[in-house]
Order: sequence, then C-alpha cells, then structure tokens
Amino acid sequence: MNRAIVIGGGADALVAAQVLARSGREVMMIESDTGLLDEGWVPPKVLRELKIEGLELRWPEPWASVPLAAGGRLELSRDMARSVESIRRLSERDAERWPQFCERMARLARFMEKIYSAAPPNPLDIGFAMQARRLGRRGLTDLLRILPMPVAELLDDWFESDALKGALGAAGVLHLLQGPRSSGTGLRLLHYHVGCPPGVFRAPRSNILEILRRMPRVELENTEVQRIAVRGGEVAGVVLEDGRELEASVVVSSAGPRRSLLELIEPGWLDPELARALRHVRRRGVAARLRLQLDRSPGFAALALAPSLDYLERAYDDAKHGRVSRAPYVEAHCDERHRVEALVQYVPFGVESSQLQEKTIALISEHWGDAQPQHAELAAPRELEQFEGWPEGQPHQAELALDQALWMRPHPELAQYRTPIRGLWLCGPAMHPGAGVAGASGLHCAHAILGR
Amino acid sequence: MAAAAYDAIIVGGGHNGLVCAAYLARAGRKVLVLERRERIGGAALTEEVFPGFKFSVFSYVVSLLRPEIIRDLELPRHGLHILPLESTLTPLPNDYLIQWNDHDQNRRELARHSLRDAEAYDEFGLMLHQMARAVKPLLAMAPPDPTSLAFGELLGMKRLAEHFRALGAKRFNQLTKLLTMSSAEFLDEWFETEALKATKSASGIIGTLLGPRSPGTAYVLLHHYMGELDGVFRAWGFAKGGNGSVSAAIGAAAQAAGAEIRCNASVQKVLVSYGKARGVVLENGEEIRAKLVVSSADPRRTFLGLVDEKHLPGPFLESIRRFRFRGSSAKVNLALGELPDFTCLPGRGPHLRGAVSISPSVAYLERAYDQAKYGEPSSEPYMDIVIPSLLDPEMAPPGKHVMSIFVQYAPYHVNGGWTDARREALGDAVVNTLSQYAPNLKGAILHRQVVTPADIERIVGLTEGNIFQGELSLQQMFFLRPVPSWAKYRTPVSGLWQCGAGTHPGGGVMGASGRNAALQILGAA
Repeated sequence: MNRAIVIGGGADALVAAQVLARSGREVMMIESDTGLLDEGWVPPKVLRELKIEGLELRWPEPWASVPLAAGGRLELSRDMARSVESIRRLSERDAERWPQFCERMARLARFMEKIYSAAPPNPLDIGFAMQARRLGRRGLTDLLRILPMPVAELLDDWFESDALKGALGAAGVLHLLQGPRSSGTGLRLLHYHVGCPPGVFRAPRSNILEILRRMPRVELENTEVQRIAVRGGEVAGVVLEDGRELEASVVVSSAGPRRSLLELIEPGWLDPELARALRHVRRRGVAARLRLQLDRSPGFAALALAPSLDYLERAYDDAKHGRVSRAPYVEAHCDERHRVEALVQYVPFGVESSQLQEKTIALISEHWGDAQPQHAELAAPRELEQFEGWPEGQPHQAELALDQALWMRPHPELAQYRTPIRGLWLCGPAMHPGAGVAGASGLHCAHAILGR
Repeated sequence: MAAAAYDAIIVGGGHNGLVCAAYLARAGRKVLVLERRERIGGAALTEEVFPGFKFSVFSYVVSLLRPEIIRDLELPRHGLHILPLESTLTPLPNDYLIQWNDHDQNRRELARHSLRDAEAYDEFGLMLHQMARAVKPLLAMAPPDPTSLAFGELLGMKRLAEHFRALGAKRFNQLTKLLTMSSAEFLDEWFETEALKATKSASGIIGTLLGPRSPGTAYVLLHHYMGELDGVFRAWGFAKGGNGSVSAAIGAAAQAAGAEIRCNASVQKVLVSYGKARGVVLENGEEIRAKLVVSSADPRRTFLGLVDEKHLPGPFLESIRRFRFRGSSAKVNLALGELPDFTCLPGRGPHLRGAVSISPSVAYLERAYDQAKYGEPSSEPYMDIVIPSLLDPEMAPPGKHVMSIFVQYAPYHVNGGWTDARREALGDAVVNTLSQYAPNLKGAILHRQVVTPADIERIVGLTEGNIFQGELSLQQMFFLRPVPSWAKYRTPVSGLWQCGAGTHPGGGVMGASGRNAALQILGAA
C-alpha cells in the first residue's frame, strides 16, 4: 500500500500532500473544519517546488496605525520615508534611527528566512555554523544577542518613543503568554519580520490557501479522523468518524503534536518519557477574536492599540494571574468591505470574558469616527477551540517560545517531522518554522518522508 | 618613563580580585592589589554593624566558590571553614515545606505534600546533576568567540561543539531546553507542590530583574545548583566568621604567595599611553606603574570610569553602555534578642539552622516581581533567610542572634529614587511580611540594618547594586559577557584585563572569573 494520508487542511498539509503526490504517491487528504490561518510568508522554495505563480502577499498600508495620546497617529508604512516622517513627529532621534534599525533587522530576517527554508538546523553542525558566519561579525553578534533577549530591552536600546516601541513590541508577544519584558521575545520580532520588506514587522496575509486548494492530484475528503491506526509500531492508516478505515503506509498529521500523538493514536505506542514531554508542550491560547461589520470605512487599515511597552506588560500581568487584561492589546484590521477583524490579547483560556465584546468595541470605536457597527461577534479562546478546532484556542498549536523554537520545535525529539511511530509524520504550525510561515513545514516534512 | 614597579596591579580587593592576585602571585608575578575601602572583601565582607553583632553585610552564603580554587589556594589552611546549611524551610500560611539535605528525611517530607513529587525528586536531582556536570567545564573556560575566524577561536568552538556532542542528543536537548526555559515552567514539568516549585524557582530569579516565568531563569537556577557538586561541600554553606572570612582566606593565600595588598587606595584612573595600560593613578595623585592592570570592578566602572573613553572603540563603548545591571536585591540584617518562632513549626528545631525561604507560591513571586517592574519594591518580597549565630555562636553575644535576610525585589531604579524613607519602608515590609510567619519577630528585633541596591552601589561600588556585576540574563552570558568578542578577560586596551563577575561565568562568590582571568593572563605572557 503506497498510499499517503494527510490530515488537516492548512497550507502546510496542502503543500505536504502536493509534494508527496508529485513524487508519484496516491495521496488522500482528510480535511476537517479546522479554522485556517492564511497568515504568513511563503518561502520561495515552496513556490518553486510546486511551481506556484500568482502568489500575492498582502500587508495593510500603513501596516500599523497607532493612536497617540496627544492626538493624531503614528503610521508605520512600507514606505521608509513616510514612516520616518511619522516617527519624526514623536522623536527626532527615533526617526533618525529607524532606517538603521530596519536595515539591521532586515539583515537578520534574511538569515532567518534561510533557516526557515530548511528543516531545523543542528546547532552543533559545522555547516550551520558556517552559514551563520556569513552574517558577518556584527550580524552574528546581533543575532545571538537578540534571539534570547526581551523585545522590550532590544527596543529600549534603540528608541525612546513609547508608541513606536509599543507597536513593535506587540510582535514579540502575539499569541504568546509572555510580556515584552520576558526573555526570548526578541526572537519573535524577527520571526514576524521574516519575508517582510524592511520596516514591516507583521506577517503578511496571502492567497496561498486558494492557490493550493485549486491544485489537482490530491483526493479530498471532508470528515474527521477518529484515530490513527498503528500496528506493530508502524502506521497502518486512519479510522474515520464514520468508522471507515483507510489503509496507508504514510500518515502526515497537521493536527498538532499533542493531538496527533496523545489523542489520535492508542496509548502505549509512545515512550512514556516522550508522552510526558508532549503533555508539556505549551499551547495556551491568549487571544480572543472580534469580528464586526461596519457601515463605512473606519479610516484605518490596521489599528494597533499598544501605546507603550508598559501597557503590554500590564496587559500580560493580568493574564499571568489568570485574568482577562483590564486594558488589552488590540490589533484591528479592516478590509475594503469594512469588515473588521480584531485580535484581543490577553484573554487566557477558559476565563470568564463576558464584557469583553462591548469593551473591545468601545476601545476601537474611539478611533473609527462616525462608523457604526452592524454586527459583532467575539470568540474567546474557549470558543476558538470549539469552533475553529484550535486546542486551548492557540492557533499555533505550540507556543512559539524560545524553548519551543528551531530544533526544539515543538520538542527536540520531534523536530525533524518524524515520530517514533514508523510512517507517522508531523507538519503544521507546531513544527519548524511553523506559526506564521505558510507551507514550509509541509515542504520540509514531505522532503524528510521522501528522503531528500 | 618610570620603570614598572609591579608585574600586575589588581584594581579592587573583592574575592575575584583576590583570587586573580593569588593565582598571579603563585606564578611568581609581583602583584599589588588596590582596595578603595579600608578593608578587603568587596561584597564578601563581615562587619560588626552593631556592638557584639557581626554580619555578612552583603553576600551571606557560600556554595558556588569553585572547588579548584579552594584546593589550589589551600583556603582551609588560610582560615576558611564552611558550615553546612542542612535544610530549607518554606513557611506557608497553614503548613510548611522543608527540604532536607538528608535524602530519606527529604523524601518523607515531600511525600507528605505529594507522593508524585517525592517520586520525581530523585530523578529531578539526577537530571540537574547531569546538567550541572555538562555545564561545569564551561565555567572554567574562557568563552570562545563564535563570530571570530581566528584559528584559536575556531578551535575553541570546535572543542565546545565536541563537548556538547559528547553529551549525547538527549542530554544536549535537555540542556538547551534548560537554557531557554523559565524556571517556573521548567519546574511545572516535574512537580505539583506549589511551595516546592516556588522555592526552587526562586533561585532562578536571584540577582535579575526577571520573574520566575520569564525564559532564561531556568539557567540561573542551574547556576545556583552548581555548588551542590564535587563533593567538597554539599549544598549551601555558611563561612565561619561570615563571608568576610572567605575574602580574608583568599587574601591571606594571596599574601602568602607574595602579593601585596593596599587598602584605602582608591584608583582614579588607569594610565594608558600609546594604547597600552601602564599603571594607575590613585585619587591622592600617586602614580603606580605596572606591566598589567587587571580590573575587578564591574564593566561600567572599568570602561566608563577608570579608562579614558578615547582609548576605547565606539562599538565597544556602545555595548558597554547597554550592558544591563538593574540591581534588584536588598539585604536586611537583624540583631535579635531571641530566635524567631515560626507558627507553622514552633520552637527551636533544627529547621532554624538551615535556610528559611519566603516563597509560598510562584504567583507570590510573580506578584513581587510585578511591583518591581514598574519601579516599586515588593510589598511582600521573596526572602532567603539564615540565622548565622546558630551555626557560629561568635557572630552574636551569648543568647542573642543575628539574622540575615536576602530580599527581592528591591529595584535600583525605584520611583523617585532611594531615600531614607524608602529604605525604612522596605525594612518595614520585610519585617511585616516575615512577622506573618513568625509573630514574635517584631518584639525580638534589637537593631535593624537595611541595605538597598543604592547602598550596595555606594558602599561596595557595584553599579546599580547588581550583586552579579551585571544581570545574568541569556543575552549577557558566556561569550556575550560583558561584551561580544571581549569575553576572554582581555579589553581593547592592551595590558588592561578584566577579572570581575561582570565577565564569564558571573557572580555568586564563585571566584571563577578571577581564576579564569589569571590563567588567561599567564597563558598570554
């Protein structure tokens, strides 16, 4: 039986399925109704391999509008000169430093792109060391220093304006139960900069899902997998919701490592130590999602309510002690049809958040002029788990924290996409490079399966 | 130009300066130690603060002092005598947790709280022991510079990679996890008893302005575990005569080897000409020439104080300026008329001879940190307490006692700055919090000394009162300590070296920086 079954419908699963199909395997995708993110940079390697054309990466313009206490907005744009002008109104010094900061970060992001375009590196490997050296002395020093650093310290080193630091610092904590003063958040500023033009620090959206879905060669089945069948330590296929069993010699799961290995396979096949480690893979959802329809344009493409690093840190303090942030960080995007989608952080999983919808609308409405909301719907992490299938409401399946990144993502023994069950492989946001990079883990996983 | 009177001048007579001096003197170098204060010791000092009551005013326990230093310098012969602390008591509102050095006793106590934790404890200890062994060789190493293509550095990196490879994949993975995790999350993976997790994770926050849930603190936890190794003395110990006797022993060893020590000799400047250090100028204008100058002062004092900026390259200065200190700890020293009586464990039991840790839960520590982040001292701080007079009766008059309380967080950058009122308020917060667990304490206090980070800076000269001469955070460790490319104790000024805790491997009365620097200096000559 040379069939491969791919579980899940995200970009990573679709890419894995396509690569396997093109190698001559019969591939079947089992797509459940899991909420998908069309977020993230798509490495050129994915595009080349699948001969994808017409990919559009989209950033709002400006990518962040930050309301200022004194009135007006800080607008961070793809256009360097415009950003500089906007920053200049806050701080002459920051405006002067902005291009240099962007240049230094972009250099590091280009390096991260290389790291993300392959399976996780082995830190002890000489090849990796040589690759890193190409960054040059200052680049390498920057990288080694910034990755483990709190994003707040990095930004304090460079800038003095609270609004600027707040908007940038937010990238350090998106979907993470940490504050900007926690170590390791520096890594995330670079992570969300990967694939971006200099001066943009948010993952793009794209049409990658549409493009992948239009591709032939893969049989699709829209149902739930009940379990992954294992015989003699080797994968045998999957059992569907309706009881049907599909045989396969290869199963690729993008359902997340904890779900795939602890829930979908029968207990007993895993080494207890690995099972314990998997239970400790952290995947705590921290953001609620507000969707609303406005009757007219709110006058922003991307509104970031994170007025300072302290504001973010205080928002985290609440969450750390198990409460919804009294003053949450909000990032709201509006499309051309005046639909607003806002991320509201921090909202810990399972915590009472009844007033949150009104509160968030009140927060944003201060900045949308005369627009009127017509329909609004807030989903806290618990609802996101229920309706989108994100465990604990965390879309990344494994938090992108320092100890769950690179060759430790989601756990060192699983980082190479392989599992101890022969024939069972992992891809998806929980796998390197994961969360916010589309298709790459699917590609690396498929390559590992094919022994490339 | 006058001929050099000494081979090396050591700036600062703290334990690292003295260790460095001792090693250089033993190798036959003519060494002069210059100490600003009236006595040696730096932050390892015993002082009779109140008549009859002696205190280790600043650092107060020993454990991390490298065993090779104790052996090489024959410190016991020079008067070092370490008395073990046998337990750590964590009082709780209605209960207590006590960790014993004695294995069986410890297991029984843990099992009272959680059978699972008692089971996990041995495995945890073994794992930490393995991790500590994996890191130990790094402590005695001058960190190679991964950004350099020089042959020696490449060789160093290769050796380092080989060391890690030899650990095997599993241990290497554990080690990288330990380096990148928060102490609280790391402990969450092992234990369920809140007080156990909190007390253990507290050693991950010492000397940093980070909370137990911030990544990187697991390494600091390991750093503090390093002392429980080597079998020289297990666990934490107390130096007979206070921590001043640690400095005194090292000083005596240095003198016995021929080093000269001058107190009341405050160095004002390092003399530099033609890019080379030639000696120092004292505050009274006296010039002393030497072939080498080794500074045990912290990086900021050394490079932004003692050396004229024009001798240092711009990027180096920039890195020194952003090196973070952010002192976060204070000391409260109490002279007591009677012993504290803990509600949870009344009477004068063996528990008083060990440490007492006020760390009932991780959330408690995080709340203490929350206040400090925004510039307020914790109203209910984390405390690590010892009663030295129970171990060494000479520390206090008969029947009376001294209590040493390490307090965190007391941020150096407190809102409005440190004032007398602020200092006393901190003392009150400490006494009030502790009185919740030992109600007789207030009435037992005869004298109280409160040492804030600002006091530590003023008295000992540690910038921002940071007890490690700079935060021990991931981005300030190993080859990044204190500055990338300058982690091998050298400086951009030829003939000027650094040997303080601001260099690898950092603080904690380890002495490793002083020893490593001396070995580098001797190797270079």
